[in-house]
Amino acid sequence: MSNLIALNQQAHQAIRINTQTVEAQASQLNMVPVVLSEFLKLAVQFPIGFTKNKDTGRFVCVALFGFQESENLFVKNQHWDALYLPLQIRRQPFFLGNSEQSDDQFVVCIDSSHKSIEQKNSDAVSETEAIFDREGNATPYLENVKAILAELLNGEATTQVFIKTLAELKLLQPMQLEITFANGESTRVEGIYTINEVRLQNLSNDEIAGLHQQNYLAPIYTMIASIGHIYGLVDRKNKRSAGE
Amino acid sequence: MSHAIQNIVIVGGGTAGWITAGRIAAKHKANPDITVTLIESPSISIIGVGEGTWPTMRNTLMKMGISETDFMRECDATFKQGAKFAKWVDGTPNDFYYHPLMLPQGFNKVDLPPYWQTEFGHHSFSDAVCFQEQVCEQGLAPKLITTAEYASVANYAYHLNAGKFAEFLKKHCVKNLNVTHILGDVISVNSADNGDIKSVTTQQQGEIAGDLFVDCTGFASLLLGQHLQVPFVDKSNVLFIDTAIAAQVPYEHEDSPIASHTISTGQSAGWIWDIGLVHRRGTGYVYSSKHTSHDQAEQVLRNYIGTAAKDLSFRKIPISSGHRKLFWKNNCVAVGLSAGFLEPLEASALVLVELSAEMIAEQLPACREVMDITAKRFNETFLYRWDRIVDFLKLHYILSKRSDNTFWSDNRNPDTIPDSLKELMQLWRYRSPSNCDFTSNNEVFPAASYQYVLYGMGFKMDSAFIKQPLTEQRIAAEQLTQNANAIKKALAMLPKNRELMKKIHEYGFATV
Repeated sequence: MSNLIALNQQAHQAIRINTQTVEAQASQLNMVPVVLSEFLKLAVQFPIGFTKNKDTGRFVCVALFGFQESENLFVKNQHWDALYLPLQIRRQPFFLGNSEQSDDQFVVCIDSSHKSIEQKNSDAVSETEAIFDREGNATPYLENVKAILAELLNGEATTQVFIKTLAELKLLQPMQLEITFANGESTRVEGIYTINEVRLQNLSNDEIAGLHQQNYLAPIYTMIASIGHIYGLVDRKNKRSAGE
Repeated sequence: MSHAIQNIVIVGGGTAGWITAGRIAAKHKANPDITVTLIESPSISIIGVGEGTWPTMRNTLMKMGISETDFMRECDATFKQGAKFAKWVDGTPNDFYYHPLMLPQGFNKVDLPPYWQTEFGHHSFSDAVCFQEQVCEQGLAPKLITTAEYASVANYAYHLNAGKFAEFLKKHCVKNLNVTHILGDVISVNSADNGDIKSVTTQQQGEIAGDLFVDCTGFASLLLGQHLQVPFVDKSNVLFIDTAIAAQVPYEHEDSPIASHTISTGQSAGWIWDIGLVHRRGTGYVYSSKHTSHDQAEQVLRNYIGTAAKDLSFRKIPISSGHRKLFWKNNCVAVGLSAGFLEPLEASALVLVELSAEMIAEQLPACREVMDITAKRFNETFLYRWDRIVDFLKLHYILSKRSDNTFWSDNRNPDTIPDSLKELMQLWRYRSPSNCDFTSNNEVFPAASYQYVLYGMGFKMDSAFIKQPLTEQRIAAEQLTQNANAIKKALAMLPKNRELMKKIHEYGFATV
């Protein structure tokens, strides 16, 4: 169970965050939500698609790591084999919560039950980061986490508008993909949506100009190109099954 | 020079009128020569009792270019996954069966009823062969918020507020499908030399001419019945119900569960419908006035509703079971109550509207010269459909063991059973209803529906005959196991009906 509390310099002066644990915690995720501003970095290795939020049915953009629930083909022996880690992973164990004073204001919260939290006096051998220095000021590590949280907050809003625009133009389609792995197992990819390229080609000049003005053409084509990484995932899965 | 059919005039603005207008206008949207005009009386209110639909409604809405989310939000619509028939067999408290909207498991692989009767006869047929009964019993929805609009996990239709539905369709037809909406009371119907309807005169808007007239004037049947004098074929000798008393019942709480199926409960002289919408339930007792008095009927409905009944108003609606001898004569075709009506036991009213609207839209005669051919086909098709519906409704009554009122024993009197149904009942003593019994392209109910009602009502095949051909035990057992697994999977995955309704109102379905 997560236990979210507002970050407090006095209460949290002594704790350190084990960043390796943060990354390893994502080994059970086969996808995470991502935002527009990180598309170019994600597209180097991950397929970027859409999926629906289970509670609301609304679309979110996601980077894919595996084919089944809790299958992450980028994490091996608790280590990420990836050039870039999505913001949604690196922000852990921190969250933004609504401030008590105002709905428009946010405060940094921490999931106090997160496994990456260690006490300063524990003789941890792994790499840990302090969040407050001796003077009680935020460390560069915490400043970086705050920047990530801010980027996610803004990014979620702009990504939602991007998705809404695409959905209104009927540019989303369910991915039809049946994969047979080298060991003979097959799987059907379900619940992932991609850009409908035929529909994109048939948009009117005005519609294309609208997408261009909103700077949506770049992320659209980035997503289309990134889907080819599905074959990279198949390759990783085959190698994993073969015990390499 | 042939006379092209271009101006379609629909008289009547209930659900029948607007569905017909919408289907024709949507189908011929690309043809600027075809116009659709709907004349609605500002003084006559719609009957608006038809709250149950078939899964065909999803296709009907899609064909008109309607968003499922908009439809559900604006028409108070909920999901319907079939019907639960309670107290139809013997009237005891645990007497019920389901007519779900999905085929029995493995329906096209193996004929399950003989195996079910031989080995699992103690288990309800609908529960043994279809996962939908459990889904309904648990009050679950047929899909998830992540399921695309009009797509399903379990097949479904809708319950809807008919008054709001007519308004919703009107808005869509006028705004998006270019249907011309005229408010006017028709005061005369004007004939051409060949007997066709040339025009109708309205009190407020004068004369309105057309090439094809669609009569959606409800029980009045103003054009087909009154003007063209097409006689009514009475079916009250087969189906005795002739009166309805209806009441709208508020939910106890805002969050009260919504049943995701129609509940039909047998009573001494008929049955009570119970349909859950978003904010209220629609209930009503349809009864035979030869077998009970109106006061008694109202008391039966009050007892069914319980304490909430004391604050409710009750509405009495007379019903004539039957249909017109023809549905399309000259250049006039009747759709909806003007064509006929049968008790709402299997929600056949709106589906007949949809089927009629579809056939008119898709087979719209190009010119007057070929219209009589289309009319002949239309009449053959729909006479066949009405007869099949009459048979299927009657099937619900003839196997009952109830004897609390002569309503039930009169229903079992062979003189009241159509010969076509008697023949089928003879055949089904030795084998189950199959597709070979229903070979027309115009069938309304599939063989599976007959199986659900037949075995739900406790009918048994002659066991001496069915034991012989049992050579597919393994496949049959597999299907029953698969159904048991499907039940587990569905119960684990599907949300409560009320919960999904809230999400539809808050978030809506995506189109893909």
